[in-house]
Amino acid sequence: MNRKLIGAAVVMSGVLLLSACAGGGTTSSETGEGVDEVASGPRTLLLYVDPVREPAALAYKASVEGEIDVTVEVLGQEEILAKVALANQTGQGWPDVTFNPSNNVGVFQDPLNGYALNLDEYVDSAIIEGYNGSGDWCLIDGSYYCLKNDLAQTVLWYDTVIFDELGLTVPTTMEEFAATAMKLKGTGYVAGAIGDQGYYAGYLWPSGCPISQVLDQETVRINPDAVECTRVIELVQPLVDAGVLDSRGSFDAGFLEDVARQQKVAMNIGPSWWGQFVIRPEDSWAIPAGRIAAAEMPLWSGETTNWSGEWGGGVWVGNSHAPNPQDVADAIVFLATDPDMRADKVTFPGYKPAFEAWSATIATDPYYVGDVTAAMVAQVPKIRQDERPARFDSRGQLGVLSTEIQGSGDIDAATRKFMEGLAELAAGAGYTVVK
Amino acid sequence: MLRHRSKLMGQINGMLMFLPYLVVLVMFAIVPIVMAFRVSLGPSRLYPEGGFGNYLFVFEDFRFLSAVGNVSLFLLIYLPAMLIVVAVLSLLLDTVQMKYTLPLRLAYLVPAGISGSVAILVWYFMLEPTYSPFAGIFAEIGLTEGVQIFNTTNLVYIFAIMAFFTGAGNWIVIQYGSLQSIPQDILEAARMDGANVFQQAFLIKLPLIRKYLVYMLILVFASGLQIFVEPYLISSSVYPGLAKDWSLNQLSYTLAFTGSNLGAAMALSMVMLLVSVIVALVIIYRTDFFDEARGKMKEKTIG
Repeated sequence: MNRKLIGAAVVMSGVLLLSACAGGGTTSSETGEGVDEVASGPRTLLLYVDPVREPAALAYKASVEGEIDVTVEVLGQEEILAKVALANQTGQGWPDVTFNPSNNVGVFQDPLNGYALNLDEYVDSAIIEGYNGSGDWCLIDGSYYCLKNDLAQTVLWYDTVIFDELGLTVPTTMEEFAATAMKLKGTGYVAGAIGDQGYYAGYLWPSGCPISQVLDQETVRINPDAVECTRVIELVQPLVDAGVLDSRGSFDAGFLEDVARQQKVAMNIGPSWWGQFVIRPEDSWAIPAGRIAAAEMPLWSGETTNWSGEWGGGVWVGNSHAPNPQDVADAIVFLATDPDMRADKVTFPGYKPAFEAWSATIATDPYYVGDVTAAMVAQVPKIRQDERPARFDSRGQLGVLSTEIQGSGDIDAATRKFMEGLAELAAGAGYTVVK
Repeated sequence: MLRHRSKLMGQINGMLMFLPYLVVLVMFAIVPIVMAFRVSLGPSRLYPEGGFGNYLFVFEDFRFLSAVGNVSLFLLIYLPAMLIVVAVLSLLLDTVQMKYTLPLRLAYLVPAGISGSVAILVWYFMLEPTYSPFAGIFAEIGLTEGVQIFNTTNLVYIFAIMAFFTGAGNWIVIQYGSLQSIPQDILEAARMDGANVFQQAFLIKLPLIRKYLVYMLILVFASGLQIFVEPYLISSSVYPGLAKDWSLNQLSYTLAFTGSNLGAAMALSMVMLLVSVIVALVIIYRTDFFDEARGKMKEKTIG
């Protein structure tokens, strides 16, 4: 029996070691990067950016060469929350500047997390004013906790060649959008794909569906039964059933192969970066020059404004624990607003001078039919502000939404499952959920 | 007296040999577990006083039950598949002794080299109809879209296949090793008594390596319970959100790193550890795992 016990202990220790390996893997990989230098020591900054933002980070590094020792780490957008959580746990090793999906600022501003630097003291008010209110996503409890990297306002992208061929006119209301989409039935053309974030950013959000309407620090409104949600479901479901809205995602391998690269997308509601990043590149949809135009968002009936939602529109957040917060804020200002640096990027800068440099090339680009920036500019003040950053990971649930749409094509069920998950997360994060 | 002294020396030597392992065990298993337990009782947003509230939080989480269901189904497929295939293939490898046995053993190890993120990519390309070399076969049975294969219903099978192919080869070679430890005289006696190849394999060899299979079962269960890489990678890169919080370990990760609730994450980890330990103890005490095998077969350590 004694021997049996010892033997059991040895096997158990094997199990324990396995457990420890599984649980401890990520913890040990995180090491401090010298961010806790004293203010009087060498000036250092650690930047965490996604691969798309790496050139910008390197441009910043070059601009302060000799003054500040900048380290740029490239990692996936979805990793930032985890990295900061680890640093919070160990009490050191925070990155000084991070590029984030837009909702992260809600998580980081939460006092329990405490990572986000309040920028009010360190960023010139002229910079904030240069955003003309389009940067107010970052405004929480009366202070700015981030700067918008870009605006991802949705517009209506359409293919003029297909519109001419079928004799279609550009829809200005959502009813017209649905009717136009229905005319595509049987032609092989579609009005875009919906099994991705596009459904949230281009349909639910502009309609005003209360998905993550943070009313105050204690209350969030989430209600799938609101008319702003049900009207979206009622409009979209028939289009999916008719096959004119593809239930796959816009980046799905099959959708790319069968539809997008065959130039079968007649129109689709997409963000401002869609043209340069999705429609145009050879390795993406590869639509030839002289076809694509952009129009303002169609209007939902009962609304007086043709609102946009945002797909993306990342934010720069600084480290509140940094010994040199001014350096942190200056880096954020450079990365978010520098006109020279922003001019050749695919995304639409929110800061006016940077936007002007950016649009100078896009507006006259012969690839597009007409000036696509006109619709984008018109939508800037019309980004619907009901959706607010929350301290739970609302972005993580967007994958659940697209998975449900792709799997079943049942828009009502997918929307409900998505929003019920959000309500659970909100309650878990200490919010009172109201209808 | 002499006998007593040699027994004492044996015990001291045993301790000395165990010591290096003990150090590692304490540093990388016991200490993290104690730390995790303390954190699991610490304060969190909804339970500022700490205590067992974090455990309650986990059990009430809307993703917990579905994760339990997913992992249970995964284990139901994965464990028997491992046990049966590994036992049969290693017996075959042992029975068919020829000049190809050595390269064959190597062949079993090759799939094990493709693990983690690489395995996900390999299986994605094999199963995605747009890219797959088997696209023709898929088309024959009506599978032309990625979502017909990569959907929530099929996930458990896809993960079981991935885990099986990355793990089985190693264990086949290990169990082949344990078959080598069976004394030749036993097999010779069986042959003289007229046992054919199948009788030798299933009535003589299999019972003699049973303990090694039980040992394998315990470790495979513990690693299967903690499935993480396959669903995490599929969900974060290939099909965003497809397998979000699919497994218990993923849920723990989400709670810790995007839910700002390390206490609940540790609580879930402790629950998983407890399950692993209980299952291992049941298997150990329900079998003759540690009974003396002296006289029946030569002791040989494996693993």
